[in-house]
Amino acid sequence: MELLEFARGPALKVALVVFCFGVLWRLVGTVLLRYHRHLSEPRDGYFKAFMLGLLVGGSRSWPHKQYIKRTGYGEALGYAYHIGLFIVILFFAPHVLFIKSLFGVSWPTLPSGIVTIIAVLTFTLLLAVLFRRLAHRVLRRLSNFDDYFSWFVTTLVIVTGLMATAHFGARYETLLAWHILSFDLLLIWYPFGKLMHAFYIFPSRIINGYFLARKGAPS
Amino acid sequence: MTTAIREQTVGEVLSANGVSRRTFIKFCVSTASFLALAPGMGQVIAKQLLKTKRPSVIYLSFQECTGCLESLTRSYTPSVENMIFNMISLDYDDTLMAAAGKQSEEARDAAIKENYGKYLVVVDGAVPLGNGGVYNTQGGKSAVQILRDTAKGAAAIVCVGTCSSYGGLPYANPNPTGAVPVSDIITDKPLINVPGCPPIPAVITSTLVQYVTLGVPALDAHHRPLAFYGNTIHDRCYRRPYFDVGKFAKTFDDEGARNGWCLYELGCKGPTTYNACATVKWNEGTSFPIESGHPCLGCSEPSFWDRNGSFYAPLAAGLIGSLAPAGEAAGVGAAVGIGAAALSRLRSRARTQSRAAEKTASKED
Amino acid sequence: MSAQSVNTTTAGRVRAMPADLQGDLSNRARVERAMQSFALEYGSLTAFRLESCIHCGICADACHYYIATEDPQYTPILKVEPFKQAYKRESGPYAVFFKLFGLKRRVSADELENWQHLLYDSCNMCGRCSLICPMGINISELIEQTRHAMFDAGLAPAELYAKAKHQQHSGQPEASKEPYRDMLLAIGRQYKVEIPMDKDQAEVMLCVPRTDIEHYPKSVAALARVMQHLGVSCTFRSDGLVAENYGYYAGGREWQRKISMRLINEALACHAKTLIVPECGHAYTALRWEAAELYGKPLPFRVRHVTEYLAGQLQTGRLKLRKAGNGAVTFHDPCQLVRKGGVMDAPRQLMQALGLDLHELENNKAFSFCCGGGGGVLDIQRAAPLRYRAMESKLREVDDSGAQTFLTSCSDCRATFDDAKAHFNWEQTPHSLLELVADNLG
Repeated sequence: MELLEFARGPALKVALVVFCFGVLWRLVGTVLLRYHRHLSEPRDGYFKAFMLGLLVGGSRSWPHKQYIKRTGYGEALGYAYHIGLFIVILFFAPHVLFIKSLFGVSWPTLPSGIVTIIAVLTFTLLLAVLFRRLAHRVLRRLSNFDDYFSWFVTTLVIVTGLMATAHFGARYETLLAWHILSFDLLLIWYPFGKLMHAFYIFPSRIINGYFLARKGAPS
Repeated sequence: MTTAIREQTVGEVLSANGVSRRTFIKFCVSTASFLALAPGMGQVIAKQLLKTKRPSVIYLSFQECTGCLESLTRSYTPSVENMIFNMISLDYDDTLMAAAGKQSEEARDAAIKENYGKYLVVVDGAVPLGNGGVYNTQGGKSAVQILRDTAKGAAAIVCVGTCSSYGGLPYANPNPTGAVPVSDIITDKPLINVPGCPPIPAVITSTLVQYVTLGVPALDAHHRPLAFYGNTIHDRCYRRPYFDVGKFAKTFDDEGARNGWCLYELGCKGPTTYNACATVKWNEGTSFPIESGHPCLGCSEPSFWDRNGSFYAPLAAGLIGSLAPAGEAAGVGAAVGIGAAALSRLRSRARTQSRAAEKTASKED
Repeated sequence: MSAQSVNTTTAGRVRAMPADLQGDLSNRARVERAMQSFALEYGSLTAFRLESCIHCGICADACHYYIATEDPQYTPILKVEPFKQAYKRESGPYAVFFKLFGLKRRVSADELENWQHLLYDSCNMCGRCSLICPMGINISELIEQTRHAMFDAGLAPAELYAKAKHQQHSGQPEASKEPYRDMLLAIGRQYKVEIPMDKDQAEVMLCVPRTDIEHYPKSVAALARVMQHLGVSCTFRSDGLVAENYGYYAGGREWQRKISMRLINEALACHAKTLIVPECGHAYTALRWEAAELYGKPLPFRVRHVTEYLAGQLQTGRLKLRKAGNGAVTFHDPCQLVRKGGVMDAPRQLMQALGLDLHELENNKAFSFCCGGGGGVLDIQRAAPLRYRAMESKLREVDDSGAQTFLTSCSDCRATFDDAKAHFNWEQTPHSLLELVADNLG
């Protein structure tokens, strides 16, 4: 079996199995822990608090302007590379075909050249993100293996993808195999590290939003 | 064929056949350009060819469909390939030779004997090993035996076609005859693979020319001449610009297909297939599969029948068959999650209770 | 210190500070107590908070301790590292991995001691970080939970521990010359206002911050005067006078409950429909939002902050106010009332009714910086230098507002500003909004 077939077949299968297994384990293991009841009287009723909580799920995506002066650079950087990743993942034709092969859904794609440019920009941004993590006193202090490894697997997928597109460094099928293998690695790491934030972000915001809203506190 | 002719150089044979020097040089220069050699190399090839003794060639056919030979013979106009037959001494080819049965076997044995250590073996077709090799016998000898006997005294082996190069169709799942490529049997001789189903005729002839004049050419990891197998179909495809701007045919009869857009989504294996189809093309440079509207099947790559899921599955597609295992894993994960949460609750309760007990104890003190 | 002090996890790298210890516990016992405490807190909502952090460090930019010092150890989420560490190892879905492969070390006694400075001295539990977190983590809630473990491990700051201890058994955080009941009645006599005391039946039960009794008697009188003006049947209860809850500050769950229960029981005894929390921020959090959980069921009476109550009276027309002067005023939003309590509009409605020319601070309402005294920090002696550094920007904001009068609605904030006034020779004087209301009853 060739490397590419291995990456697309057994490795992908194992990665998907680990991904689904791990994500469900972690999410269910978090959700089903004890629930502490809150007995105080909500300011404006439970329904309003819940609706406001839902709202926070989205509104927290945009920082309050009072904070932007201090956090603007970091947030812009974070936003930029996330958008870049989303465009590259969702609008590169082969990626859509990959998704189609798994789930049967597809959508229009962007020209490969544009996606390549965005991928290069995203890679540059990821370098900036790493540099910032290493240089910023708070980030350096907070960072652990998870932070660096999650950065590594994400960047690896981008780099191998770009190499495959540019046919740089090895033969195309080898590069493509590396690219898919690196994605398999990302899937396997996903449930165990901070990449899980994609699953936690909205429940976490909504929970916080709900509890702030039931107090009538700004959220 | 007489010994006298075999002793002649290529140049002598050519002039005897009325080939002008001009035609010959043209052939050499075009061969050099095929091989992606420097322009001056045309002259070198010409010089070399003119003084080279025509080497003896033994053409063995095993588990094959004769398509490769068809490919080679069909396209000899304008007699370029014909010249090749004048440059080599094809001493054995059971399909082409007039002799049959015992005489043909004798011709082979004679060629081996006369040119021991110098002749070239061209193999077409896979070699079955199952049940002692009974699935392919000639004159009571199994294919593998013939190959071993013939290869022993060979200077080099050229595998023409995907079957001899990688096993091809006989080797494909479930491989009932236990077919293997030549490279699995002969490991001690220089080996050149010219895969394709069939290979492009000019690629076969040019490879032979290069071998005759310059020896074993530069090869890739699959022993393919880099001159022809150095780039992917995708890289040289005239439809590549459509790939780059994201214009794809989605079905065989949609607007994209009619407009000649990229066939990637229809399963084209061009990006992972190394061959010269997109540049040399077929039938005197008339066309190649993609140009006629069909995605590349990747026939010059190992196991092309079995890999990639289907000829029509895009290269980017996963090869995992069904998502069911992932779904099951999610279910098991959820169950483990329930277990983890339950365990955590129990542990928390135990800790909480031990705290309460400690408190009561300290009050009693 | 303990043998576990060699610790290479992130949790280990915090500047060691002298810590206060209570009880004669072995390190092992301290850690076990903390773990027992954490075990009480492990729950789904907490788990979401602890699992979500992506180490983006943005919370640091909300915290005035970090902003003032630029010292990364004051990053809010880092202050709950022991909790996170214990959770991942003991309770999280992947606890088995963390434990098996030693990916998260056992929390050590040294670590807890080092964290005392971070959890108490340098955190006002003001909740500003919880509004900035892009993942929506309520960090101040986590701080409160971690303080519980610190308290249980005998690692609360001495001042908070002593006051909480005193309050849980005597009802007042420290001894006074006279019982607070008598001091309250004396204030009534001094300010010529009737102090309703120990009535059997009352619509509204009142309580006061002990800071007001000791330092701002006029505020106590103002409360009584406003209530008298409204003609609502109300009473103080001598067994439930003090609004503060040092159990909450110190992190003692049980003591917090006992202290809250005094007020709850007194409110029940006088059949009050409403318990009015005076101008005291954390008392509002403790009574309005946390008391029911400690009581075990919903409170049978409402809990309202005095500004909230008065704004309500204003709307029904029962409270009428005169215009109060014409200078520019500014208002400090007490964190526990506004950001964490939701009482944002009430003080502004009162100020509007008073016809005040309100000049908002640069960071106001939900984004107001804490005065620096919240979370019990004002009482921690050794925290004072850091507190002064952190509050400088707040003082600057007040100066920059161009207001002549500086109002707030929390006696702890007021005391903190008064302390800063003395320390920095600051020109502004914090005033009570309630006093201004009482002075301008229509």
